Amino acid sequence: MKKKTLKVIFAIVILAFLFIQVYPVLWLFISSVRPSAELATKPFSLPTSLTFQNFAKVWSDGKILGYMWNSFKVTAISLILIVFLSATAGFALSKFKMKVNKAVYSFFTFGIMVPVQITLIPLFIFYSKTGVLNTSMSMILPQVGFALPLSVMMFVSFYSFVPNELIEAAVMDGCTPYGIFVKIVFPLARNTVITIASMYSILIWNDFIFANTFISDSKAKTVAMGLKDYVGAFGNIDWGSTFAAITISILPPMIIYFALNKWVTSGMTMGATKG
Amino acid sequence: MKAEDAKGMDINMGIIQNKKAYAVFLLPALIFYIFAVFYPIEESIRLSFMKWNGIGAPKFVGLENYAAMFKDKVFYTALINNLVYLVIVVVIQLSVGLLFAILLTYMKKRVTLVKTLYYIPCIVTTVAIAQLFRSIYSTEPLGLLNQFLAGVGLEHAATSWLANVKTVLAAVSVPEGWRFIGMYMVIFYAALVSLDPSVYEAAKIDGASELQILFKIKIPLIKEILLLTLTMCLTGALRGFDIPFLLTAGGPGNASEMMSTYMYKKAFSSNQYGYGSALAVFIIIESIIVVYLLRKAFTTREDREIKQMEKVQRKQRRSGK
Repeated sequence: MKKKTLKVIFAIVILAFLFIQVYPVLWLFISSVRPSAELATKPFSLPTSLTFQNFAKVWSDGKILGYMWNSFKVTAISLILIVFLSATAGFALSKFKMKVNKAVYSFFTFGIMVPVQITLIPLFIFYSKTGVLNTSMSMILPQVGFALPLSVMMFVSFYSFVPNELIEAAVMDGCTPYGIFVKIVFPLARNTVITIASMYSILIWNDFIFANTFISDSKAKTVAMGLKDYVGAFGNIDWGSTFAAITISILPPMIIYFALNKWVTSGMTMGATKG
Repeated sequence: MKAEDAKGMDINMGIIQNKKAYAVFLLPALIFYIFAVFYPIEESIRLSFMKWNGIGAPKFVGLENYAAMFKDKVFYTALINNLVYLVIVVVIQLSVGLLFAILLTYMKKRVTLVKTLYYIPCIVTTVAIAQLFRSIYSTEPLGLLNQFLAGVGLEHAATSWLANVKTVLAAVSVPEGWRFIGMYMVIFYAALVSLDPSVYEAAKIDGASELQILFKIKIPLIKEILLLTLTMCLTGALRGFDIPFLLTAGGPGNASEMMSTYMYKKAFSSNQYGYGSALAVFIIIESIIVVYLLRKAFTTREDREIKQMEKVQRKQRRSGK
């Protein structure tokens, strides 16, 4: 008897917390298909009718596509750079016999402690001098720089599982270091690449602080910034459009998350425990 | 993920000896990293000794910015607010995260599904989360929180959470705490399930209750992960920016001002780049001190931990006979 009540309480607690974690996000989705009039009167009940007007409105004004394209550009270029730079640097640090390796590795890991805010003023000044403000490049540079410490660490820890004998054998066969990397080591790192790419695609897509600092031209705005812009443009009355815009913009990370769930969480967990 | 490769990873074990190839592989990342992370640190430190409004030449003023900072009332307000924010965020993330990680270890079915769903807030952009909480806190139309209070007969507690000086700080801290519970839960869960069951099965045979096993064996065994996450959590909260900035921009007045929102305003609204840089340098020093202190706490704890492990194992051997 006692065991049974305990079980019921347990289930209620798990479900209640599930509600707290999921309902708010679900509510964003529901609000986007709710008629605007209803949003003002009873925003938290189930909608009596569904409407796609909010989406139509956001879509027709055409801005959101541009914002999505900018976010995509920044995310894609950053990801390619992060994977390429950390895969090569990690290879150098773990498969070359160099005395400086230890020092260089700690130099990279030190970056985990550095708060991103430190870059805002210097980069802003540098960008305004060189005309990089309001370009995708202005966000890519710090995104990649701050991703490197963790991604280099992840590659180094993966490469440490690649046996040195394998590389020795390749050297004997006359393979150059470049050949070893391209033909042997990098193809093995598939899981590490997916982990890093899935995690950073979400983090970079969601970035607010760099976009907010370096971008003011609406041509270069990313989705996260664009959302803020929508609220202003429609005023506080038309929440419907805001929710529709939010829904459109959080769909890509959601899709990546549900498709690559295992990798996203393992990457973020690693990020936490390596700090 | 294991603590030992985080710290003591043996890096010097490669075999290729080719200096030119080494440079080709290492330098691109190193140059990028130095330019994106270290050049700004150097520039921030340099600018923090200057007075500059963005036009003309910066003027060297020595320690004037730092002197002004320590006389600035808003600086102290931001510092204290940041500490309150930090306490709220850390308590929510670690305690709720740990509680649900523990509960999940008792679940037999659908653990992965529940874990996946709990994690969702972590992947939603802060701008959307800010919008979400703006409507939860709203008074006109009546937001979820005030509706809920009215529903349980606490109408008098309803307030305009973001405009009320007394509630605003908690109101901007809770979303940040809430958003990462799932992540800490996943970390704790992974640590708890990776424990060797034989360690506590023995205690169970000895007649230890579930709660005793939890507090005397399981939690002490994941202490290292707890401290690691604490570091992560603290440094994260010290840099807290997005949600306070988006929800209130530090207002009303300076009631929810954080160190980083204040720095941001000084630099980009008042164009006091020198003073803003001094604040940025303060934030980085603050973070490094916290990490350093916690790392120190680690090493001493670690030694004790090894002893504890040995004790448990001895006990286990005894009960095994």
